[in-house]
Amino acid sequence: MRRRPVLWGLAALALLFLLGPILLMVPVAFSSGDTIEFPPPGLSTRWFEQALDYQPFLDALRTSLLVAGGATLLALLIGVPATLVIQRYRFPGRKAIETLFLSPVIVPELVLGFALFQQLMVTLRITALGALLIGHTVLLLPYAVRVTGASLAMSDPALEEAARGLGAGPVRAFFRITLPVMTPGIVAASVLSLLTSFNNVPLSLLLTGPGMSTLPVEMLRYVEFSFDPVVAAVSTLLLGITVVVALVTERLVGFNKVFSQ
Amino acid sequence: MSRKVTVGLLLVPGLALLVFGFLYPFITTLFAPPTIEDTSVLGRLGELVGDSFVLTVAARTIRVAVVVTVVCLVFGFPVAYLISRVPARWRGLLLAMSIFPLLLSNVVRTYSWLVILGRNGLISQALVALGLADEPVQLLYTELALVIGLAQLFMPMMIVTSYSSLSQVDFRLEEAARGLGASAGRAFRRVVLPLALPGVLVGATLVFAGSVTAFTTPMLLGGTQNRTLATLLYEYANVKLDWAAASAVALIMTVIVLVVSAVTTRLSGKAKVV
Amino acid sequence: MTPVVQLKAVTREFAGTAAVREVDLTVTRGQFVALLGPSGCGKTTTLRMIAGYLQPTSGTILLEGRDATRLPPERRNIGMVFQSYALFPHMTVAKNVAFGLQMRKVPAAQIRTRVHEALDLVGLAHLADRRPQQLSGGQQQRVALARAIAARPAVLLLDEPLSNLDARLRVQMRQELLRIQRETGITAILVTHDQEEALELADSMVILDRGRVVQQGHPREVFRAPRTRFVAEFLGYENFLDLPGRGRITIRPEHVDVVEHDAAPPAGGESVTGTVAAVRFRGTDCVVTVDVGGQNVLATTTNDSLRAGSPVRLFLPLDRAISLTGTDSVPGDGGQGTPSLQHQQESPA
Repeated sequence: MRRRPVLWGLAALALLFLLGPILLMVPVAFSSGDTIEFPPPGLSTRWFEQALDYQPFLDALRTSLLVAGGATLLALLIGVPATLVIQRYRFPGRKAIETLFLSPVIVPELVLGFALFQQLMVTLRITALGALLIGHTVLLLPYAVRVTGASLAMSDPALEEAARGLGAGPVRAFFRITLPVMTPGIVAASVLSLLTSFNNVPLSLLLTGPGMSTLPVEMLRYVEFSFDPVVAAVSTLLLGITVVVALVTERLVGFNKVFSQ
Repeated sequence: MSRKVTVGLLLVPGLALLVFGFLYPFITTLFAPPTIEDTSVLGRLGELVGDSFVLTVAARTIRVAVVVTVVCLVFGFPVAYLISRVPARWRGLLLAMSIFPLLLSNVVRTYSWLVILGRNGLISQALVALGLADEPVQLLYTELALVIGLAQLFMPMMIVTSYSSLSQVDFRLEEAARGLGASAGRAFRRVVLPLALPGVLVGATLVFAGSVTAFTTPMLLGGTQNRTLATLLYEYANVKLDWAAASAVALIMTVIVLVVSAVTTRLSGKAKVV
Repeated sequence: MTPVVQLKAVTREFAGTAAVREVDLTVTRGQFVALLGPSGCGKTTTLRMIAGYLQPTSGTILLEGRDATRLPPERRNIGMVFQSYALFPHMTVAKNVAFGLQMRKVPAAQIRTRVHEALDLVGLAHLADRRPQQLSGGQQQRVALARAIAARPAVLLLDEPLSNLDARLRVQMRQELLRIQRETGITAILVTHDQEEALELADSMVILDRGRVVQQGHPREVFRAPRTRFVAEFLGYENFLDLPGRGRITIRPEHVDVVEHDAAPPAGGESVTGTVAAVRFRGTDCVVTVDVGGQNVLATTTNDSLRAGSPVRLFLPLDRAISLTGTDSVPGDGGQGTPSLQHQQESPA
């Protein structure tokens, strides 16, 4: 293998640019100072204590987890049957259906959030939590369809036929054969969906109500009026959790396989 | 149960969700929103387009997105190429390091730049310490800050899409081209690049569309001086409560994204952005 | 005795084009039938209709005497070996083989012995705990076979089962397949495009062309007396001649005698004159291509003095020449231009 000093140099720069700022947050979060600054004047954990005591963050965290979990579950319950049809049946209009299910990804999330706010919350008087769940499910549906579809597309379509020929009815063939074959795809789609929903800002931004807001949106609001390192502390905690999620994903289905789609 | 019934039953929940939670609100909001005063979106759109402020914001949004796309290409593509050609043990690690930022919220990823670009930030301190600046420099709330923040946000996407199309290109093709007398650079330009181009175009489109519609980064790093279409939409919708104007801005934003996606889908042939 | 499988005037259309037309077929207990033909002839479509993966557009399918035309696959008591094997990747070899028995609610204790028996039959009892991905192609093939026969189905359906194996293994597996069929006495239907495979394995051969049965019978019979040019070509015949008074005949190159062009025609056969167009030396003999009035005729000869351009006479012994009495044209069909249809055009889940 030839050495490629220029390429390696560029790669090092790019990775520093991508990861450096994120890592820089950690010492800032442990600062004893009153504002975000680097290097920190001294070390303390007071901003972590403050973050964990800040009620709006705790409420928002609960909402975020609820919405991420609920929307992921809904997107899979709705997306997996659709994927099955798209991957295993041939019928006129199949391509159009597939495109429709994937189409929410090209629409700006902020615009979708605004539309849901207007039509669902204002016009139809649906609660913020309901609108958040619906919006996030729409947002995650393309991931569910694409990722589980990829795992199905790679498997042999004759598998279900073989099960049928061996005496399994269509429902049993699905639960005994198709679903297990799709499991890695479903795990991958779940991890991807949970993170995508949990981290989302633009869609959630306008879908708020009294005491009802997601964590990233609450963090954004906090930064708007205060420059103290509380948000750095929350970010550091999220970074730690994300590292754990990444490691678990690597063990379960392969990190790069999941996140390079 | 007949096949048609099965297909129908399996698709109904998804179709219902897409109609109720996506198509209906989306189309209604863009074209016929319930307004406080009696202004229509198209009427408001006409007013806005005639307003130099909105045009300035749209131009800034596009300008920033173009620069971000170029930056991501210039750095991201070579990195993707390197990843696709290094031994497997390096490949996994480099790819994972490039992807990892995608797992974090944009708020977390953008927040760090406040520490780096601010008046008391790292860069300002460094410039003063090196004697390159006489007093602290404010880099926040500039277009440069926007470009830096967005490039950091979207470069992983560029790397991943380029990598996946580059990894499809058999490295033996390069060796064959070298064997036929092409230099390394020529083999790359004549063989690898054309084959990888559709994937790169898709990546560039994703970066561009992401930059046009990003909200968090312009909110935190652009400030009131450097609004983009996204922050303007938020302001109309949430602060000024001018929903017709918000719809008009949403329409402009959507059209930009759809047109660019359509064009690149055309250009890249089969590779689809969706 | 009731036939195990019976097809009556079975037709299957895809988007208005018939892939299988009016096929009649009877398979009796213990028979090994091969459906043979080029790709697109309708053989796989026919097999998939017998299995229940496709429904006929018209016609009737009887399994063990009962009308099964509209039965789903799981209620037909079949065992199918797929071209891709379709082994369940998330189950061990033993679990794969046990699957059909579980579906038929066989008691667990019995399942264990029957899985073992089936794996023993294919010589893989020692690999019971492996995953399919850990096996070689030939081993996967055997597991697929064991899985298909473990529940003792009425009929074993084999869809090009050997086509994914390399040439040497393919020949070896043919013997295995034949042994297993003989040992179990199972009724089997094999779909193949390889005439050698059909000749070697089947005791009844059904040749399909554009969705129709063009000839069926014992492989020896069919091979010795192909009825049409299509069948003859498919079985490897290369010489086709229209002889005045005899009609169209075919003859194997080794049965054609190459003699001096001015030699007297010997009795007991026809003779034609022509010019040597090409000579291929094969060691013990030569294959000469002779241009007979614009048609090429192949002949083998030990005479190595022939050169391109030499005038020769070909002697065709009548007891070796096969008259092709049938015509290839399919009534009500546009002719050669029929698009080839594959079962993938419609794939139900």
